[in-house]
Amino acid sequence: MIQTIIKKEIAANLLSYKFFVVILLVTILVFTSLFVMDRDFKNRLADYALTRPKPGEPIALLPPNPLSIFAHGLDEAMGRSFEISPIGIDVRTGQQSGNAVFGFFPAPDFVYIVKVVMSLVALLFGFDQINRERENGVLRLMLSNSVARSRILAGKWLGNFLSLSVPFLLVSLLGFAVINLDPRIRFGASGTGRFLLICVLALAYMALFLSLGILVSALTRRPASALVILLLIWAGAVFIVPNLGTLAARQAVSVPSVKALSERRQQIWTREILLAEIESRGAGGRGSRGAGKNHIEAINAETDKMEEDFRAKFDRLIGLSKGINRLSPAASFVYAATEFAGTGIGEERRLKEEVLRYKNSVLAGSGTDGPKSPAFVYQYRPVAEILAAGGLIDVAALALATALLVAAGMMAFLRYDVR
Amino acid sequence: MLKTLIQKEIRAGIFSFRFAAVAALLIVVIPVSVFILANDAVRKADEYAARQAGIETYLKDYAHFNRLQGVIQPSLPPLPIQAFVRGTSSDANIGEFDNDPLPVLFPLIDLTFIISILLSLAALVLSYDAVSGEREEGTLKLQLANSLSRSSLILGKIIGGMAILVIPFFISIVLSLLVILLNPRLSWGAADGAALALVCTGAVVYIFVFLALGVFISARHRSSGASVMTALCAWVLLVLLIPNLSPYAASIIAPTPSRIKTSREIARLTDVDRDELGRNLQARKYDELVRIYPVLAERLTEEEAQARILRDPAYREAKSALTRAVQEAWDEANRIQGEKAETLEAELTRREEAQTRLAKIISMASPLSDFTYLATDLTSTGMRNERHFNRLAGEWGNAYREYRDGRIEAFQKEDPAIDWWNTPVNVGDMPRFRYTEEALGERIAGVLPDFAILLAMGLGLFAAAFAAFIRYDAR
Repeated sequence: MIQTIIKKEIAANLLSYKFFVVILLVTILVFTSLFVMDRDFKNRLADYALTRPKPGEPIALLPPNPLSIFAHGLDEAMGRSFEISPIGIDVRTGQQSGNAVFGFFPAPDFVYIVKVVMSLVALLFGFDQINRERENGVLRLMLSNSVARSRILAGKWLGNFLSLSVPFLLVSLLGFAVINLDPRIRFGASGTGRFLLICVLALAYMALFLSLGILVSALTRRPASALVILLLIWAGAVFIVPNLGTLAARQAVSVPSVKALSERRQQIWTREILLAEIESRGAGGRGSRGAGKNHIEAINAETDKMEEDFRAKFDRLIGLSKGINRLSPAASFVYAATEFAGTGIGEERRLKEEVLRYKNSVLAGSGTDGPKSPAFVYQYRPVAEILAAGGLIDVAALALATALLVAAGMMAFLRYDVR
Repeated sequence: MLKTLIQKEIRAGIFSFRFAAVAALLIVVIPVSVFILANDAVRKADEYAARQAGIETYLKDYAHFNRLQGVIQPSLPPLPIQAFVRGTSSDANIGEFDNDPLPVLFPLIDLTFIISILLSLAALVLSYDAVSGEREEGTLKLQLANSLSRSSLILGKIIGGMAILVIPFFISIVLSLLVILLNPRLSWGAADGAALALVCTGAVVYIFVFLALGVFISARHRSSGASVMTALCAWVLLVLLIPNLSPYAASIIAPTPSRIKTSREIARLTDVDRDELGRNLQARKYDELVRIYPVLAERLTEEEAQARILRDPAYREAKSALTRAVQEAWDEANRIQGEKAETLEAELTRREEAQTRLAKIISMASPLSDFTYLATDLTSTGMRNERHFNRLAGEWGNAYREYRDGRIEAFQKEDPAIDWWNTPVNVGDMPRFRYTEEALGERIAGVLPDFAILLAMGLGLFAAAFAAFIRYDAR
């Protein structure tokens, strides 16, 4: 019986205007997004070829991450050039900083399309499952022919999920394959695995919203009411909670602004250099290298301490804001997807730590102008580490929420008056 | 008859579940966001004051002209209106090592965001079945059979729809204003109030655009089920796709030179190369001077030189000449390298501005972008303010450099032997960077094109809705 219901749902979807419009929209969006982000990636690759550090230069510059085509995340920050000098790190920003419009709107990457559009599409598939069939009279016909309610719901869920996920997966995998054809972009086994993980996350995310749609459908009498309720919940979950949550967290955890940090940094190094020069003038002649080195060490010690304090407070802020944001499945999805792609908060933090470690090793190694600096090598965190560092919580949050919504939907439907 | 129709639309709308849901959302979300943003604005103002105090403390003991400009870099102070509109005054700080990742992943929610995303969605939700829904219910043919003109019907729909959308919006704005005015730490001026009023006017036009779009889509479909799908698709494309794609499209059409490469080049020209050039010029000038003042060739320590300056006027003259010559050499090196760097910088800026302009134009196909630029430019939180700030910073930079050069000259006259560039000095009378918002009149003039485009879109969609409804089969 379930199989019949699944087939019926799929057939009904394939013949509907809604399905046609939605699939067209998803195809256009995914392909446009992949095309645009792919071209942007190739531009960044060309830029990297021009700016990659030569052997011996104390520059940390990460090659562009191909997975950023799908999850742009913090790729812009991670792609900056970090040049080590005795008095600090010179940061140079990439192409996007030159165009102010980038700052106004979020990147239209694959993760964004899934987060915003696929959730809406899943809701649109689910919002009229129960109430419209009640209006049509089909529901009471089915039930009076002793089809179990649980079977009906399971069949509806599976039929709609398949109608949703199969075209989505086809389009996504096709897009991935086309991008992978380019010899300049080699995802490799690891990259492909991570992309598939992101797709699985996307499917879980869509399953959640489908379950939500069906739940609300089983709680309302008319599809129009269900749609309005769902659109409001969707707007709240996707746009409001994640963004407001971060703001609310900032009120609770006081962290100095990053601008304050940069200003302090500037004050520390100019002060120490000035003191070094005064000392060397007082000593007469050109000045001792020893005094200069002391002051450079003082700069590094003070800025490292400042960094540590800031890092500790900032980690608390991130922790709290993640905690609040995770009320929204969209936030869990973004956190997990960007971490898997290597453009998330955790990865960026680790990159910064590695850059600081690189700075210390360069400065420790440079006694004279002779020895060349070591090259900066960065290994992305393996998936196991990502999961251990919080990725698993995000995945579990999505799965748990879906399970709860399915259960609630089942309970609501069991009590639904089909007349 | 039109008045009756409008009243009917309003009554039907107000008592609908949809309206209750939308009103509840707006009346809760807007004041709550403003409350949180207002607290955040106070926090930022306090932090800004602390930063300024930190700079003043530094200046008391360590102000030296060689590196002072780096410490007193102009920065944008927080504005009270940022309780409503944040724009690009975010704290991502990507130009420095300490950047903030959160605003990138989760942009701040402010009034612009709520209006552009939620209100546009609400407008479509309330209007998607304006025509198709009435056809399905059978009330459309009843109205037409009772010789109600089509034009008054469609006007009634639009005006009624606007009324019921604008009411909860204004209630939420009033509540938010109360939140602001009751906060003793926020000083709200008349210009801020005027800017907010104009942003709200822009919001009304923005709502009108989406309402007209909803009615138009509704008048092109037979069933409300189909029209809601089309409406949502149109919304996704206009609100979530076109604006976001625009800078990428512009970067493909009008690429810019490598920022990192240019930045490194400029740093090299004005640092390493400048130092080399400066040393060469200094050496040349030194050689010239030694021929005129052979006494300069003697090697003395700092103290011995100081002592000799005091007792030997000829030596003093020679030293002054040397100091002047060194200054000239470095000025020349700075000038030559500065010009080269400026050329590179100017080319990069020119190409980047061209790309930004193109991105802006492409994005303006979406009403969301037009409204965003309108709101952020009116409240000094957008691209217009960035240019204004850069202009002010440039002017301050010139004033500072004049002050600095004047002080150095005065110091060197007083005591030519000391390296005044690397000596802490009292800078109590230094011109400070003071940010003032652009005059409201100029901001308004700047956003007139955005207003005009939104209005044109709204009127165009209204005309399309009108035309579609005139031909609509009401059976």
